[in-house]
Amino acid sequence: MTDMEKLQRIFTQICPDADADSDSLVDDELIDSLDLVSLVAEIMDEFGVKIAVDDITPENFNSLDAMLALIRRLK
Amino acid sequence: MSITSLPFLALVAGGLVLYYLCPKGGRWVVLLALSCVFYLSGGWGAGCYLLFTALTTWAAGLALGRLNAALDALPAGEGRRAAARGPERGKRLTVLFVLLANFGLLYAVKYWDFTASLAGGLGLTLPTLDLLVPLGLSFYTFQAVGYVIDTYRGKVEPEKNPLKYLLFVSFFPQMTQGPIGRYGELAPQLLRGNGFSWENCRAGLTDILAGLLKKLVLADRAGVVVSAVIDHYTEYSGSVIAFAVLLYCLQIYCDFSGGIDLVRGVARLYGVELAENFRRPFFATSVADFWRRWHISLGTWMKDYVFYPLSLSRPFLKLGKFTRRRVGGRLGKLIPSALATFVVYLIIGFWHGAQWKYVAFGIWNGTIISLSQLLKPTFSAWRARLDRLGESGLYHAFEVLRTFLLVFIGRYLARGIGFMAAVNMLLATVFRFTPSDLWNGTLMGLGLAGIDYWVLLIGTIILFVIETIQEKQGSLAAFLDRRPAVLQWLVVMAGLLCLLYFGIFREGYIASQFIYQQY
Repeated sequence: MTDMEKLQRIFTQICPDADADSDSLVDDELIDSLDLVSLVAEIMDEFGVKIAVDDITPENFNSLDAMLALIRRLK
Repeated sequence: MSITSLPFLALVAGGLVLYYLCPKGGRWVVLLALSCVFYLSGGWGAGCYLLFTALTTWAAGLALGRLNAALDALPAGEGRRAAARGPERGKRLTVLFVLLANFGLLYAVKYWDFTASLAGGLGLTLPTLDLLVPLGLSFYTFQAVGYVIDTYRGKVEPEKNPLKYLLFVSFFPQMTQGPIGRYGELAPQLLRGNGFSWENCRAGLTDILAGLLKKLVLADRAGVVVSAVIDHYTEYSGSVIAFAVLLYCLQIYCDFSGGIDLVRGVARLYGVELAENFRRPFFATSVADFWRRWHISLGTWMKDYVFYPLSLSRPFLKLGKFTRRRVGGRLGKLIPSALATFVVYLIIGFWHGAQWKYVAFGIWNGTIISLSQLLKPTFSAWRARLDRLGESGLYHAFEVLRTFLLVFIGRYLARGIGFMAAVNMLLATVFRFTPSDLWNGTLMGLGLAGIDYWVLLIGTIILFVIETIQEKQGSLAAFLDRRPAVLQWLVVMAGLLCLLYFGIFREGYIASQFIYQQY
């Protein structure tokens, strides 16, 4: 499974109603802070990266591509 | 000094003249002077509390700035981690000191006597302090602590000038009831010396008018019935109690948001845009959504400084690993964030006051939001089964009404004179609901005349129409700008007339202080 496929699986489980293709998930409030912390915890567990509070920004979580870019930066 | 009083109006008006006459570089000094006059009009004692918070957080900011600079100066490489340990530890100790000092003070002033009464119930005797709560204590404490944490995180550079920093902590429009500002957004506006703008003048006066209408025409009027019934709830049937709680929903919204409109309007006259604090909360489709639209500055403060750090702390991450392994499924993944949510709302409950009813209020909201997070897939499945109905306006209306009902129940806890009183009021609403009390004349004996109920009804409808426009089109001002100037003037004149006739020169009851002023 590729990193993006793993991320999509995590995203669909945590945020079943949100549009995974959106590029303004946080700005358009398609995911909220509760979704974000659950996503962060899963991402840290799955990919072995450490995400700090300061990394939780709209820029890093507005789309799955942005999340993947964050994961690759932290690895 | 009440922000709906003539002395406050005189302070704002006189202050505006001084502000815009002063050279730009010195305008922040005028704001500081106005803030000192406003705050010290309540007594020098309150000023000492404010100074304590301002000094400790300012000094902490400087210390954190120096430690951040020391860390940035460390060369990259193998030895960096070991060399960084000292400054990192220093940063943590500085923040810990500030948190203990300022939340300790907040605890002593607002919560110590509650602790003493709890201890008394357990047979221990603790002295009570009976300290007067200074104006805006919770608000400016949170604002100042937010500055310290932002400096710790390197998000803002510390302010070296103690008087400029004091202005950030004590800016007079927000001292009564917020909003809780962020240093990075507020300080530049306070310190740069804003130029006069007719747009700011128009927007500010419109907000002030809207705020006064909400407060003096709607909130204070509704408050007469609320106090009459809820403070003597045993004398009334469940239907009258429910009606009073419904009016309380109107009262607290108009009181708090009206007050915020007023202070934002005053700040706007000086060219300062304070943080948004309300975004049409009664259009929310879930309780979580409601709290994202209500007292926004407190909610985002809690999110950034409590919820995220707690959820991503080592104990919570370990808990998450444990629950994912042992409980499994979606539930196992969500337990840590649900628990963190619960803690946040417990704190918000306590923030309102040291009474069991506020604890219960926090538990109610925390439980609803945590449960709704856990049940999201179930709700999604039900919605999918409704097909097109699930995407329709009817379903949206159902979500809005469902949310309002849950918030309405929570208001019993927030307004009841105590926890058991709130429970008894709820039981009376369910088991002693006598609809005929709503039209047999009982309501006419609660302090309001028939005309007042009409004012409340029509005022609420107008408020609903305005907020519907704002919800769909973003801004009432932008909506009106597209209409003929005559219509715009008519709207303003009508507002002024209503304010004068139904708000300022009404007969009967006197204006009450703002509800959130006590927090």
